[in-house]
Amino acid sequence: MSTPDDPRDANPKDPEELRFHYTPSDEPKPEQDTDNAHATDTTRVPEVIDALRKEFGAAVLDVERYANEDTVYVEKSRIREICRFLKAEESFEYFVDLGGIDNFTAEDRYEVFYNLVSIERQKRIRLKVRVDEEDMRVPSVTEVYRAANWNEREAYDMFGFEFVDHPDPRRMYMPEDFDYHPLRKEFPQLGVPGSLPLPPQTPDGELTMDPFAAAHGSQPVKSYQEPATDPDSE
Amino acid sequence: MAGSSGTNGQGFFTTRVDTFLNWARSNSLMPMPMGLACCAIEMMGFAGPKYDAARFGSEAMRFSPRQADLMIVAGWCSYKMSHAIRRVWDQMGDPKWCIAMGACASTGGMHRCYGVVQGVDNFLPVDVYISGCPPRPESVLHALMDIQEKIRNEYSVVQDYEVGAAGERAPIMPENTSKFPGQLEKPKASGLTLEAPDTGADGAEDSSSPAPVAA
Repeated sequence: MSTPDDPRDANPKDPEELRFHYTPSDEPKPEQDTDNAHATDTTRVPEVIDALRKEFGAAVLDVERYANEDTVYVEKSRIREICRFLKAEESFEYFVDLGGIDNFTAEDRYEVFYNLVSIERQKRIRLKVRVDEEDMRVPSVTEVYRAANWNEREAYDMFGFEFVDHPDPRRMYMPEDFDYHPLRKEFPQLGVPGSLPLPPQTPDGELTMDPFAAAHGSQPVKSYQEPATDPDSE
Repeated sequence: MAGSSGTNGQGFFTTRVDTFLNWARSNSLMPMPMGLACCAIEMMGFAGPKYDAARFGSEAMRFSPRQADLMIVAGWCSYKMSHAIRRVWDQMGDPKWCIAMGACASTGGMHRCYGVVQGVDNFLPVDVYISGCPPRPESVLHALMDIQEKIRNEYSVVQDYEVGAAGERAPIMPENTSKFPGQLEKPKASGLTLEAPDTGADGAEDSSSPAPVAA
């Protein structure tokens, strides 16, 4: 009997091979191929969480695990210190992402998440802070991670967080005079009519906006000066 | 050439200036590729050798609006971009035509959200809409042929005052531009009225009369 050309026609496969490996599982797989660096868990950081708990105590509110990923809820007012600690002591020097979440709940409506990577440890950690609608202030982590600058501007633009001590608190995408924060749940999907200017609808109408302002000599508004050197290198 | 009489062995033929000019215009359209998204890739296929827009005289994409007379808006248009598109459109010399290519440029398409203009006809006089997401290059060719058809039926230089009674001669006024396929926009200069010769002051009443027979 010759072997079939199509490997799918072969006799019943090892059920282990048929298992779908990417189903989210909150617990790590029992067998860990430790020889392959790419197969090891990168999203479980119990020792970092222990260090955080030891250093900050009650400021670490919650630890959540979903799909084998650790998420640490921390006190909003101490997020900058925690980031500084993670960067200096725990080698999480790579800032990946920052953004907002609108849960549309009565309390703690918003969340801001911070994704950090430690290249040395080959680990990731996700921090989250809860933000109530009454107090949208969040300490800016731009001082710790300069890469957070634009991400915080984006989160401000889309959700309206006020990042305290941000060097350039302008909108990222929408016009400066836009009155709304589009990713909030109550914002209508098609926008608010008339909130964004359209060009004139008749051939001889007055132009409503100069799209090539920079080419026409207008300097972009900048509320801060870029530091000449990286403050970390001093 | 449409509208020309045969040579009859005389070595010449006669035609109308409009017909001749429209024939030349329709076969030498220079598109302004306003490529905004993935439709622009299909637009490149339209201009490339396989679909070969050169068969219709439209292979010369002009990236300067001063040299172009057909704007192909290919892709979704954000509110921010709409002002730039309008500027570019205004910089194109008359006569000019516009194709809204694909679902997004025509209606906003799947981008049903606050940042995307729900159809570029909100601020541009679109002549031909193309469906599809993205449309095939054949569709763009079809749209181009529709534009050519439109141009060939326009009054471009002279109007056909030979046909119909003098009372039926209608000046080109903003309220009756639909009767003049070539005159999509009212005259730029205020107070300028294009009128038929020796209709005198009765132009205003004539605006309700039917348009002359197409050339």
